[in-house]
Amino acid sequence: MATQLDTFQALADPTRRSIVEALRNGERQVNDIVEQAGIHQSGVSRHLRILHKAGFVSMRPDGQRRLYCLRPEPFRELNKWLAQYRNLWEARLDRLGAALKKQQSSGKPPNKEQDT
Amino acid sequence: MNDKNKSAAADHTTRPKVVIERTYRAKVGELWELWTTKQGFESWWGPDGFRVEVHALEARLGGTLHYDMIADSPEMIAAMKQMGQATSHEVHARFSEIRPHDRLAITSVIDFLQGVKAYESTIVAEFFPSGDTVRMVVTLEPMHDDEFTKMQTEGFRSQLSKLDKRYGGEKR
Repeated sequence: MATQLDTFQALADPTRRSIVEALRNGERQVNDIVEQAGIHQSGVSRHLRILHKAGFVSMRPDGQRRLYCLRPEPFRELNKWLAQYRNLWEARLDRLGAALKKQQSSGKPPNKEQDT
Repeated sequence: MNDKNKSAAADHTTRPKVVIERTYRAKVGELWELWTTKQGFESWWGPDGFRVEVHALEARLGGTLHYDMIADSPEMIAAMKQMGQATSHEVHARFSEIRPHDRLAITSVIDFLQGVKAYESTIVAEFFPSGDTVRMVVTLEPMHDDEFTKMQTEGFRSQLSKLDKRYGGEKR
């Protein structure tokens, strides 16, 4: 049942994003997250398990309590991925710039195929 | 549920967005045309190695944008085939916002990614003319627009899968 979640799927859920948000200020126990995120405890526990499995959250026991915090690694990787994504879009906008120049010199939008 | 506002707030801050700005020496109408006419759109849209063929483009609020994204370089065609993916896919989108020469949003239905449930992704373009230049600000939701397909073919996806194995694969 528990299929492996990809990094994006883990953050695709709004409830999980609000849990991540609640953990941004540091270590929290489940009750604090419940209060801060305004979500029922059973939901928080379930989503914390998913976030933990996807590597976004780590847990350490402290007596009877379980303390959760964010792990930086997946966020760093996500940033790296976003940088690559941005580069591809930069290239796309380079093409827009080139198309614009052609349009300006001919007075109408160029045909991508013809001119390359 | 009453956590809707909080979720929306979290959505705003933690959902990755990419903002790219460019300034062009152009009239805003020229840039606008590249987003809102068939010929203009076809002249630049799509990742490197792909071209688009527009079937319908209605530049009005809620207007249809329907195109095929077609792999057109030999390397890209080979890469798509190797991955067992079609070399062309249909994209259904709409102009979800449109204020001529000022701002537009294109919302695409992403239903062509294997193993990913259909969802919507929106690209916003804003135009700020000043003198003889126009600053264009594009806001993207990177999961996933059609660049994602390109990234899949280039192996970024497999990098992410490696990540998943590293962080998601641990047995508990």
